This record gives sequence, C-alpha cells and structure tokens, in this order.
Amino acid sequence: MAMQAARRLASWSLQRRLLLPSQVQAPSIPTAAAAAAFLHSHATSFGYKQVREEDKSKLVGNVFSSVASSYDLMNDLTSVGLHRLWKDRLISKLNPFPGMKHLDVSGGTGDVAFRVLERIKSVGHRAMQGTLTETEEDTHIYVCDINPNMLNVGKKRAAERGYSKEHCLSWVQGDAEALSFEDGSMDGYTIAFGIRNVTHIEKALSEAYRVLKRGGRFLCLELSHVDVPVFKEIYDVYSFSVIPAIGELVAGDRQSYQYLVESIRRFPNQEKFAQMIQEAGFQRVEYENLVGGVVAIHSGLKL
Amino acid sequence: MASSLAARRLLSRAAAARRLPVPFASAPAPAPAPAAMGSRRFSADAGPPPPLPPPPLEPVVEPPTSEGAGTSSSSTTAGAEGAHRSSPGAAAGARRQGGAGYEEEQEKPRMGWSESAMVTGARDVGVSPAIVGAFPRKEAALVEFFMDDCLQQLMDRIDAGEGEQLKNLILSERLSKLVRMRLEMQAPYISKWPQALSIQSQPANVSTSLKQRAVLVDEIWHAAGDSGSDIDWYVKRAVLGGIYSTSEVYMLTDNSPEFRDTWTFVNRRIKDALDLQKTFQEAAYLAEAVGAGMGGTVQGVLNRVFQKRSG
Repeated sequence: MAMQAARRLASWSLQRRLLLPSQVQAPSIPTAAAAAAFLHSHATSFGYKQVREEDKSKLVGNVFSSVASSYDLMNDLTSVGLHRLWKDRLISKLNPFPGMKHLDVSGGTGDVAFRVLERIKSVGHRAMQGTLTETEEDTHIYVCDINPNMLNVGKKRAAERGYSKEHCLSWVQGDAEALSFEDGSMDGYTIAFGIRNVTHIEKALSEAYRVLKRGGRFLCLELSHVDVPVFKEIYDVYSFSVIPAIGELVAGDRQSYQYLVESIRRFPNQEKFAQMIQEAGFQRVEYENLVGGVVAIHSGLKL
Repeated sequence: MASSLAARRLLSRAAAARRLPVPFASAPAPAPAPAAMGSRRFSADAGPPPPLPPPPLEPVVEPPTSEGAGTSSSSTTAGAEGAHRSSPGAAAGARRQGGAGYEEEQEKPRMGWSESAMVTGARDVGVSPAIVGAFPRKEAALVEFFMDDCLQQLMDRIDAGEGEQLKNLILSERLSKLVRMRLEMQAPYISKWPQALSIQSQPANVSTSLKQRAVLVDEIWHAAGDSGSDIDWYVKRAVLGGIYSTSEVYMLTDNSPEFRDTWTFVNRRIKDALDLQKTFQEAAYLAEAVGAGMGGTVQGVLNRVFQKRSG
C-alpha cells in the first residue's frame, strides 16, 4: 500500500525548486556559529547515536563493509526498484557527452558510472559524435569509493557486463574529503547516496568544487526530507519498522540498516543542503524532489 | 572588443527579460543603463573570451535536414572566403539565480542549432561542456539567445545613428528598412535557419518565441515612429508580425544575390498593408457613423428603460 502511494507520487511529483532563502526548516538566518554547530553535530553523529569525530569514519566503513555484498539487492528491496529510476533521472540531468571526464564519488558498486558509460556509448551519441572533433576516446569515468569492498563488488559487476577491458572506467579508492584528483580536472561530479555518510560534508563539497573544471556540474542524489502530510507518516513507519526488518532478514544485519535510516533523518533538509552547496562556491544551485521528497537531486554549477 | 561583445550579449539578455511583460514601446532609455552597468561588471570579472579563428569548414552530416546538408556543402565553398563566420563564443546570459551563465553562439553554419554546436562552443570558450546540461531546453536556449541578441543589435544600431537616417524616409520605407536590417542578421545562418524555426515552433518553445517576436515587432514600430489610437496599435503589430514571418520564410528559399528578391517582397507587402490600413481606417469611420446613427435609437430605448426603473 505504501509502495502504491510511493509509485503514484513518483509519477506526478517532480517538483523543481530554486534556492529560496525564505523557507528553511533550520534557523532561517544561519549565523556562522549555527552552521558550525550543525556541521559539528553531523560529524559526531552516527545515526541517532553520538560518537567521536575520529570514530565516525571507521564506523561508517564497517557498515558498508558488511552490507557491500547485498547492497544492490537491498537497494532494490527497500526502494521497490525505484532507485533505478532515480539514478536514470540523475544521469539525464547530468547530460553526459563524448569526451567527458566524470567522477562518481562513493559510487562503489558502479550504478551511476555504468549508466554514464552506456549513455555516452549509445547510438544517439554516436550521431552527435560525428559532428564533434573530440572522440569518445577521451571519455574517462572514475569511480571513487573509500571502501575497498564496495569497489570490489563494482569491479565484479563491471566484469559481468563486459566492461573489464574497458579503458574508460577506473576504480579508485579514495576519501571524498580528500580526493586524489587534480584541480579542475573533471567535467562532472556525482555523488549518489553517499554524502550522508561523509563525516565533514563541507569538506566533501569543497573538494567537489576543487576538482571540477569551469562549467563543470555537481550533482548529488540523496535521500531527503518528506513534508507531504500523510505520506510523511507512512514513510516514517516504513523507514523505521520495515527497512531494518528487511535488513535483518536479507542481509543479516539490522544495525547497519538502522544506522542508514537514522542518518537520513539527521541529514539537513533540501533547502539547508542547497545553502551548503552554495557556500562551497557553486552557482545556480537548485534541487528537484522525487517521490514527494523521499529523494532529492541537488545540482550546482562551477563558474 | 571581445569583452564588449560579451557585455552586449548580457545587455540583450537583461534588456529582453525586462521588455517582455511591457506592451508599451516607450521603455525609457535610462532604465536599462543601471542594469547594464551592473551586468558589464559581471562580464568584466569573468574575463573576456579569446576571439576564435574561423573554423575549418567541413560538410555537415545533419541527419534530419537533407536540405541542410545540401546547402551546407555550398556553404563550405563560400566559407573559404570567410562568408560564414563563427561568432566568438562566450556570452554571459543573465539568470535570476545570480552568477552568470554562459551561452555559446558557435559555428552554427557548420553544426546547426544543436547540442553538439553548444558542446563545441563550450570547448572553444574554455568552459567544460558539462554546462550544456544545465540548460533545460538546450537548442531552444541557443535559438532564443540568438533572437535576443539580434534584437539587441537592431536596437543598438537604431540608437547609434541609423535612427537619424530613418527620419528622412516615409513610413513604408522606414518599416522596410528596419525589417531588412533585422533579416540581414539571419543571413549568415540561413542554411540552418529552417532548423531554428522548427525548434521555435515546438510546443515547449512556442510561447517564448511568440513573445520574442512580439517584442521585435513592437521595437520596429517604435523605431519607425508609432502614433496611433488603441485599436490601431494591435492591428499594426499583428500585420507587421505577419509580414515579418512571411518574409523570413520567403528568405529561406531565396537564391538571388544578396537576397534582393526578399527585400522586394518586404517592400511590396508593407505597401499593401499600409494601403489596407487606410481601408481599415475608413471602414472604422464608416462604422462610427453608422453606430452614431443607430446608437441614437439604442440610447433612446435605454433612456426610456432607465427612466421607467427610477421612476
């Protein structure tokens, strides 16, 4: 029943909003102190638990090491397959082009990277490529993840799809807060369902700003806050009761999925996060709600 | 020079955005100036783009328009003489969201009004082509930007001095000259203009393109010296809009040297229209006279009705 409601909402509620300074759930005038306090609280929170800042990264790492093998299956179960549509939407917003240098951060299992690759190689793009001087030889997609287990799963999936000899695709282990790429080397940066798990969000955002070229786009797909009245309650019940139960049944790990669900609630809402992106230096920041706010795609432009 | 080009483009954006809701042609001159100053600052900060060398033209494989492919091969021979220039890239398109977005006017004779033209344009300017993804309606944005830019160029030329020359001409010649000035701006892109027209007529884009044309026609009438009563205002703009559109389409198939046939066409249509307008005016007077006669009767009846009610 909740799935039907979700599906119906998915079909009509693509709401796009530009950043408006007025409607913010958090204190409407974020003073430097308030912003700093929020960021500190994110850095020391592990779901609803309080942890030391130094420990958060390790704890998150443990979560993903344990869920890595069933990550994709769990995604399909908990989002009822909708995550595929969300990622498709992310890629169509990105609008990849032949010759693109793209970085997908915390994209361990490769979903976003495969989509970008397929889009660039698609027939339609071959037609466009005929009129472009640069060929798709220059295309390169980097998949960066802090967790080697997730990367291994991704490499395995790539082999299954026949991309093991693919020279366009690179798997890099790295930290979103300290990327190993050069300044201004990427045309596009995506982070799908990953920014929530980063200890210092502002560092990840400024790293994103650093590695992007001028004209490059930042896109973030993340679970976000639902404000729609009735649906909000249904979603809460689903999140706190159903998801950890599925986690226990399928992956044998209730705690990790409890963390996942709690971390969604602790993450800033759409407006606040958009403000943070703007503070990192991005321009034309806007967000699009999917399924009434269950998921939001934030985008920004580096100029 | 390049930065003034960028500033000009920004001005057109700002100017067009402001003119859109206003039906009055008399937008005061000082009003655009402060915005222009602010916008000029933007483009200056962003840095002037390097001017482009003319590209090596090659035949375009443009799948949908076979006509495009045919005419583009003729354009390659003309291109050697530099007839088809590629306009320098970066232009700042002002957006509400703050910060400048860049639009590229690039190699349209070669690639048409397409995403690949925008991608190449972005590369040439030194901006990542990822920016093309930020435009919600990509090719339409390019066409609309071009329309705004041409409008701004027209207004600049009128303000700069050609407006004085206009005063010596009669009304029909003034209109012809203005329409010709505007259509000449499209001449370098004429091989791909059918594509631009089809983009403009798509349902998602048609409202913006109609608005732009309305503004254009308004400007032309204003420059030609508009003085008329209320009904005339709408009729004039509608008629000129029709003439402009038909001339534009005529120009697509005109092979005469320097589009001579098109200008003859424009002159004849405008003369016909003005003659027609005299006919309209006379018809309006006649209707007034008849109405006055009839109105006496109607008014008498109404007076009696109201007398009865108040009485």
